[in-house]
Amino acid sequence: MRRGFLILLLVFVLVTFSSAERILQIWAMGEEAKNLNVMAERFMKENPGVKVEIQAIPWSAAYDKILTGIAGMQLPDLAQMGTTWMAPFGAMGVFEELSSYIRDSFISKDIFFEGSWQTVELNGGVYGIPWYVDVRVMFYRTDVLKEVGYDHAPQTWEELYDAAKKLAARGENMYAVSLLYTGVFGNEFMPFVWQAGGRIFDERGKVRVTDPEFVEAIEYYARFFWEELAPIGGGNLFQDFASGAVPIFFSGPWMVSMIDQQTPEIKGKWSVALMPKKKTRTSFVGGSNWVIFNTSKNKDLAWKFIEFMTKPENQLKWYKIVASLPAVKSVWEYPELANNPIMKVLGEQLRDAKSPPNIPQWEEIANAISRRVEEVIYKRRTPQKAAEMLKKDIEKIVR
Amino acid sequence: MKTSWVWILTFVGPALILLMVFLIIPIFASFYLSFTDFNVFVMTDWSRAKFIGLQNFVELLKDELFWKALMNTFYCLVVAMPVTVVLSLTCAVLLNRKQTKFKNFFKVSFFLPFVTNTVAIAIVWSWILNPSYGLLNWFLSLFGVKGPNWLGDPKWAMPSVIMLVIWKAVGYNTILFLAGLQNIPDFLYEAAELDGASPWQRFWYITLPMLKPTTVFVTTMMIIGYLQLFEEPYMLTQGGPLNSTLSIVLYLYRQGFKFFKLGYASSIAVILFLMISALTLLRLKLAGRK
Repeated sequence: MRRGFLILLLVFVLVTFSSAERILQIWAMGEEAKNLNVMAERFMKENPGVKVEIQAIPWSAAYDKILTGIAGMQLPDLAQMGTTWMAPFGAMGVFEELSSYIRDSFISKDIFFEGSWQTVELNGGVYGIPWYVDVRVMFYRTDVLKEVGYDHAPQTWEELYDAAKKLAARGENMYAVSLLYTGVFGNEFMPFVWQAGGRIFDERGKVRVTDPEFVEAIEYYARFFWEELAPIGGGNLFQDFASGAVPIFFSGPWMVSMIDQQTPEIKGKWSVALMPKKKTRTSFVGGSNWVIFNTSKNKDLAWKFIEFMTKPENQLKWYKIVASLPAVKSVWEYPELANNPIMKVLGEQLRDAKSPPNIPQWEEIANAISRRVEEVIYKRRTPQKAAEMLKKDIEKIVR
Repeated sequence: MKTSWVWILTFVGPALILLMVFLIIPIFASFYLSFTDFNVFVMTDWSRAKFIGLQNFVELLKDELFWKALMNTFYCLVVAMPVTVVLSLTCAVLLNRKQTKFKNFFKVSFFLPFVTNTVAIAIVWSWILNPSYGLLNWFLSLFGVKGPNWLGDPKWAMPSVIMLVIWKAVGYNTILFLAGLQNIPDFLYEAAELDGASPWQRFWYITLPMLKPTTVFVTTMMIIGYLQLFEEPYMLTQGGPLNSTLSIVLYLYRQGFKFFKLGYASSIAVILFLMISALTLLRLKLAGRK
């Protein structure tokens, strides 16, 4: 018994010391994490002596996991990072600055979509490399829109409002657009501001939410609730979309496969379109970046993995595996993407897409925006007054 | 015989260490943090957090949303506590009757909400409360009442949350009351019956006074629990609409773990701690008075 234990111990020791393997630890989330091992195996084949260890974290637990990882300095070499999390975690000073790596690499700012690259730049440094993007577009029911005389998606703010009026006039409990989920909706609201030509900060960092463009966006957004064109309160997006009660909503590419799965009965009766135009058709761009933690002892290896994942042929392979949108522009010229009608719209929208200001206080600002816009929606304040309050809020947050 | 300190420490030590590491030290740390400006930038180097005295508390007193959260939380406590007590006591008395059939079935059904995951519950409830195809508004429509937009209307959102809170709490407290009821000796009822006391009189003059220890325990736990209202509004409404369901702990969570203002969040925690302590002591004091 005792001898058996000793032998076992010896085997463990031998195994541990004999393998000169280098281990690359990666944290990844959601669907990406489940499928990343396919790419990791290819990487290991190209780089003998390297072992990639992927830890899958559900999105819902990821934020806390990274936070506790930072507090306890127990971090992997490399991690997938949601674009809106770049700033808060970046401000904690745990990401490796990548400018020196980029200098000797094929990776450069120009190969990515502009809006996506915005998310890796913090305080003038580069703290991540885009992996995949997602961009919000308009999902609409072609058949329902046709009923009210629209054989195309609403192209402008005026058309969207006009179509919405007609759609809501179909009867009781009939709406047009889903605009608001419960809670914080800064990411849903900001595209309207950008479309109107508004912004939160100007180049000198001054708060500009009282500009007429911003106020106009608040009013346009709120009008959909005032006139009951958009439902308020809980509902089920898929059911409402399938029944036709809410035939238009704005969301990201993940919805494409989810609609097919959840409501196969409306296959062929829906499509996607660009955001409606005011001054521009700007949308929200999100997605995930790669970040290297500065506690890592395998930074060279981690960078090698990033380069591997950024190569156009591997970006395409990854697209085929999970259908997430490639961040590298040239990949969109492959026939797999160029000939797909839905991807074509998404690709076009990516050229006109922005991300919110990349500052650690964004979450707090998004909360403030939601609070003030909500006050307009419920007619507690006028758009102008709400914008003035919002200005004070934001100035206090970034002070 | 005197036990030596070595033995006391050997047996109590492990528990003591765990308690210190996971409870006592964090409590004091958070107390200290409430006097600092601990925020996102000092996460990796705690020494950079500045001591700012009472500034967090001063700020808190001027914070409109904090007052709103405070009012909302007390709204929940004041409404949910009496309703929960009455409902769970009623359930317990009914379950305790000799004539009641399928007792275990009812006990399990009352208790199930308490042990079910709040996430799942919240999804089901958000369907029940849906204004256009929800079960509740369908039920109301049978009586010709047009139900409100429960979660979308700032007036009705908090009552919706309170409904969920009560529904979740009744089962647990029913079991506590039931245990209390079963401890009341039968001879008291028999004697009262011989003296000609009506069922109502028996309940009023025997059951209620005899249940007093249970009632004190139940209400005390409720004060502690309801003031920490978090899961239900977090899952159901995320504090909205118009912050009408924002609770103190939800606001604390937002400040601390969404905005990383851990200093500010700690000062909320300290105030909540003081409030809970004060109310609990008050409750126990009232109970101790004859």
